[in-house]
Amino acid sequence: MKARIISIPVQDQEKALSFYTGKLGFVKKIDIPLSEDSRWLTVVSKDEQDGPEVLLEPSPGHFEPAKIYQKALFDAGIPYTQFDVDNVQQEYERLVSTGVEFSIKPTEMGPVKIAVFNDTCGNNIQIVEML
Amino acid sequence: MTFYEGEIKRIKNTVYSNQGQLDTVIGTRHHINSNFDIDLNLNLLSHFRFVSKFHLLRLFKKYYGQTPKQYLTETRIEKSKEYLKKGMSITETCFAIGFESPCSFSTLFKNRTGRTPAEFKKEQLSQSRFNADVETLQLLNQKFKQ
Repeated sequence: MKARIISIPVQDQEKALSFYTGKLGFVKKIDIPLSEDSRWLTVVSKDEQDGPEVLLEPSPGHFEPAKIYQKALFDAGIPYTQFDVDNVQQEYERLVSTGVEFSIKPTEMGPVKIAVFNDTCGNNIQIVEML
Repeated sequence: MTFYEGEIKRIKNTVYSNQGQLDTVIGTRHHINSNFDIDLNLNLLSHFRFVSKFHLLRLFKKYYGQTPKQYLTETRIEKSKEYLKKGMSITETCFAIGFESPCSFSTLFKNRTGRTPAEFKKEQLSQSRFNADVETLQLLNQKFKQ
């Protein structure tokens, strides 16, 4: 068994694709239409295009409990998932300059530094740097 | 304050309040990152941070969830992937990451990644050829549209 995909629920796949590629710097990998309003849509890190894929799944729009769960996590400020970066401070400054909103500014947390931003698709996402 | 912010504050105050211990483990990790290519061991690392090796082992595991040896191995494997991707030979890569025998390097590499260094290199080569083909096709497509 291998872990190849992590999924993130998104309210609007097109908007999510634009945010994850345009602002975060991921690259689109797979895009297969499944029905009128949903696609199997994955993005990968630009530096690791054979690495794990992030599935932008439209579950909140199709399954009410997914929508409720996503909102509860968001309201509590809890990140849906996290991505590694080399330098949290630099990434924070770069993303802020493109209009991304952070709920937690760069903060040292023991052996790591973290920050949390709003992905505009219903989720908080954490970035992490190992110190 | 959100629930998550509260949790971060609580964990910082309870789990990560000892700055001396944090400095020791972070310093050790940086030392491993910069010296993965030499024969590193717990004795050397503990001398470098002026702590007993058993204390260092416990602290490193407490903060990073793995032993210095496990972290060193992980770092070496990641570096070896980088070197192999750049076209370095398997033997050169083996020595560049601090291994003494290409055979033990190959065995460990296969254990950790599921393929031998030779298979990994071959895969990278075919992937880069495929990417080059895709780029050529995209360029041709753009020209055709113009």
